[in-house]
Amino acid sequence: MKKTSVIVLTLMIAFALAFTWSCAKEEEKPVAEAKKEEVMMADAPQVYKLGLSLAITGPTSDAGNPYSKGVEDYFRYANETKILGEDTIECFIRDDQYKTDVTKRNFEDFMTEGIVFYLNYSTGSTLGLKRDFEEEKIAVVPASFHAGNLDDSNYIFLPIASYSKQMIGLAEYVATNHAGDTPKVALFIHPSAFGRGPVEDTKKAVEKGLKIDIVEVVEHGKDLDNTATLQRLQSKGVQYVICHTVQSPVATLIKDAERQGMVAGEFGEAGKITFLGAHYTGGNDLIALAGSAANNYFWSTSYTLTSEAGPGTAAQLDLAKRYGRDDKAANSHNYTNGVMVAQIATEVLRRAKASGKPITRESLYDEMLAMNGYNAFYPLTTVGPVTYSQSDKEGVDELQIYRVEEGVFRAVGAPFMPEFAMKM
Amino acid sequence: MSYFFQLVVSGIVVGSIYALSALGFVLIYKSSRVLNIAHGQIIAAGAFITYALTVWAGISIYISFLLSVVITFFLAMSVERIFLRRLIGEPIISVIMVTIGLMSIIDGLVYLTPFGTENFSFPAFLPKTPITFGGVSISWTQLVGVIITTILIASFSWFFKRSTIGVSMRAVSDDQLASMSVGISVPKVFGLAWATAGLSAAAAGSIIGNITGLNFDTLHAFGITVFPVVILGGLDSIIGAVVAGIIMGLIQQFAAGYLDGHWGLYGTADVLPYIILLVILLFKPHGLFGIHEIERV
Amino acid sequence: MSANRWFATGNFFTTYKEEQRIFLTNIDRLAFALFLAALFIWPLFFKLSNKYMLVIDNILIAIVAIYGLNLVTGYAGLISIGHAAFVGVGAYTLATFSQLLGDSHVVITHAWPLMILVSGCMGAAFGAFVGLPAIRIKHLYLAIATLSFQMIFQWVINYLKFFDQGQTIYIGRVRWLTGFVGRDEHYFFWYYVIMFLVVVMGFGVRNLMRTRYGRCLIAVRDNDRAADAMGMHPGFTKVYAFALAGFFAGVAGALHAYLYRGVGIESFTLHQSITYLAMAIVGGLGTLPGAFFGPIAIRLLDLQVEHLAEFAGTILTGAMNLATALKPLAFGFVIVLFLMFEPRGIANWWRIIRTYLKLWPFRY
Repeated sequence: MKKTSVIVLTLMIAFALAFTWSCAKEEEKPVAEAKKEEVMMADAPQVYKLGLSLAITGPTSDAGNPYSKGVEDYFRYANETKILGEDTIECFIRDDQYKTDVTKRNFEDFMTEGIVFYLNYSTGSTLGLKRDFEEEKIAVVPASFHAGNLDDSNYIFLPIASYSKQMIGLAEYVATNHAGDTPKVALFIHPSAFGRGPVEDTKKAVEKGLKIDIVEVVEHGKDLDNTATLQRLQSKGVQYVICHTVQSPVATLIKDAERQGMVAGEFGEAGKITFLGAHYTGGNDLIALAGSAANNYFWSTSYTLTSEAGPGTAAQLDLAKRYGRDDKAANSHNYTNGVMVAQIATEVLRRAKASGKPITRESLYDEMLAMNGYNAFYPLTTVGPVTYSQSDKEGVDELQIYRVEEGVFRAVGAPFMPEFAMKM
Repeated sequence: MSYFFQLVVSGIVVGSIYALSALGFVLIYKSSRVLNIAHGQIIAAGAFITYALTVWAGISIYISFLLSVVITFFLAMSVERIFLRRLIGEPIISVIMVTIGLMSIIDGLVYLTPFGTENFSFPAFLPKTPITFGGVSISWTQLVGVIITTILIASFSWFFKRSTIGVSMRAVSDDQLASMSVGISVPKVFGLAWATAGLSAAAAGSIIGNITGLNFDTLHAFGITVFPVVILGGLDSIIGAVVAGIIMGLIQQFAAGYLDGHWGLYGTADVLPYIILLVILLFKPHGLFGIHEIERV
Repeated sequence: MSANRWFATGNFFTTYKEEQRIFLTNIDRLAFALFLAALFIWPLFFKLSNKYMLVIDNILIAIVAIYGLNLVTGYAGLISIGHAAFVGVGAYTLATFSQLLGDSHVVITHAWPLMILVSGCMGAAFGAFVGLPAIRIKHLYLAIATLSFQMIFQWVINYLKFFDQGQTIYIGRVRWLTGFVGRDEHYFFWYYVIMFLVVVMGFGVRNLMRTRYGRCLIAVRDNDRAADAMGMHPGFTKVYAFALAGFFAGVAGALHAYLYRGVGIESFTLHQSITYLAMAIVGGLGTLPGAFFGPIAIRLLDLQVEHLAEFAGTILTGAMNLATALKPLAFGFVIVLFLMFEPRGIANWWRIIRTYLKLWPFRY
């Protein structure tokens, strides 16, 4: 009995200590800040604080993990190569396990730390924190390209074209390259607002004269077998399936299609189905999941891929090598994505610094808005320039279509801007 | 009409995979009255072990499949030994919560490996062209899956009906005290139950992994997906798991095939099992084949 | 009880009424009153950052939710794997108003106490409905029924356009006597509101357990056939337990919605339900102090592990996986170790310490 109570007491004390520690840490901060201000007075190198909250574990961690590596590596690189001179960037990266509550906590913490620019991740948390961004007047670049992020929002900047634009872009690609009558298209989407959002925009584009016929919208579940769905689509004469979801369901779908011999060998092969998909359906993860079934899969994104060598991809591979990342991370488009948002952040910091303004949330936001025309930013890792203005909060407007050939993504044609998306 | 038959065949295929996944629950519940919530994680672990052996160690997939089944057999047995042995006789909620804790622990362990965040797929080892019969097609992977399921389930049924250990496991599930008094080691039986469940999980995991590709989220979600199957069949009936698995497979395929897209309904295949589950619980609380505990309140 | 109500020791009661007292001695009462006062006063003197204020508010909301879970799972012995869905029902009740009337309608901003109450009642209604199968089924089958409610809830929210398919629905800022609660005092304001509710509801639960309505829950848990023989209806008792749990969950949901100023499905998933269960278990099922200790322990564990992971990340650069794997690992081990070595939870330590202090310096 005595022994137990001693153990219990020890544990209680340990617990109490842990609690006081977490609170005590809090108390230290103002002191640290005060010190920092003194340092700033002395005109010594400054530290700019940034924050990133994303899902490194939990749902979508397959994308979040390389993304975080990209951000981390680029900021390290920026500091080491002195892009901002003697000043350095300190970016807090925190795992939120795809939970909005945790994202909010991280954000509040970052705000206390005094961040000047914020990087976010999921659609859910971007929408959930939209009001906070507005009130705090802080520029935010999320990893979600959901068009709804921009509704009633001034401070959210999508890095590349929204999902809606991508889907319309793919539909346009189908419409222009299809031989014969109006192509019959099915949409294969994620059962959530993330998946459904672009469908309505695509339907609007069709009303505006985009020449495709949307035969069916399929929302997938956790299906193990899509044979019936595919047969139904084929019996309705569907020749193109545009996917907007994550990789795993697409992999199951195209694997089933491959077994049935339904996958078209070339774009628009008669009697077969050509599969296309937006940003989060593709990438090397899709090939890893689907194997040979991924062949002839058409994918739209605005990033350069390491399978299509160029200056941007060379820089990316060098970066990954520099920090000892494995091949898988180095070649992941999510790594590119992470690098690119870090580039944007570094660039606005550099510009604000060059113009001699104090680095604050406002000045960075202004720099973001000024990023257009001759001021556009060419980050190398994308297929077009990053442009933002008061009315355009989607960074890279160009889309590049990639096609899987023998297990690697190859560029198809030149980057383009979806015409109907511009009309909306 | 061939569309209908295709739905039936797909339903049976998917259903038999459900049955195999559900088997793990049933085996554990049958002897120890524990519901193992971490089963989905064990399924995923089994799939990953098979993949690691096949691709990283370069063993032929048939052998690595057998190896991974053996490995998970012992893994699950040690899980029982380490975590659950102490809890014999504790209230049911404690045991369920331990399996929930276990779920988190396995999650953490998987995140230590590349499997936590990366995607993989098994190298193709079966012919790609499907078997087609009158417009109805079934792939080789699925066929092999169905065959393995059938073999495993048949042998488990035999095992429980005929073999001495099987009979003693049934005895334990019936009355722990009485079986102890006739010389059955209850802890050993529990260990064995977990081990066999682990074995079936690895088999299920490898088959699902072949069909969907290896993604941790997709794989471990299966543990939850098969709950309705387990309940429909009755928690302690192997035959129940098979029948319920196939019924659920068919219902899902028909829902996806005929309901979705009409009357503005989508994704019904995901929710229908749970609705059916609630209805079953109201009218036939012990499932189709579960043993009625006679106890009047 | 001895004449001196300040220094009474031991158990000496002359009436049942005395035994039923919440505070056995005046010292207890005084200590508790001081503690309560401290809880309300400290934020005035000791300013915490928004993050920690949010963490504390979040813990308090979890305490409200755990009151409910503790009633249904701890006192009544019915496992609920769908508690987050009930919390979600509360939050989405508020979201319904927000969708129908606009997010800053007077009803939401001015009549927020009423809204919280309405959400609680909605939670209770859903709780009773989901508890209906309890009339026929028990044990694991019942647990699965709550699980299916969780899944159906998630599907419905994700499916319905009305609820923005699970995306965030905004809730406006509330109004207090002095005007709208701004961003700076938001967490501070809600600390007081939630703390007030925690105290009131805590007394509610404590008192409930002193009445026949509370005791019948325990009777049904311990032996439902015996309870039946004593004239209680076990089925209805269980439904009633679910309704009570639903009420607390609903209130917690409404508070969550107001605190986060939005409702999104991510906060009410199966994973959350499991976390709630873990809190209830780690705290100590079937005890009132358990409802406080559980949420505090789990949420702080989360925070500490986060700090640790960050720290590990700085030493082991490149070993990101290790740092991130720590979170689920720690969570899992805490649950498992508690169940293996201290199944009665932290509340049991509390009990031991109290007894020890009460008897000190004697052994017994």
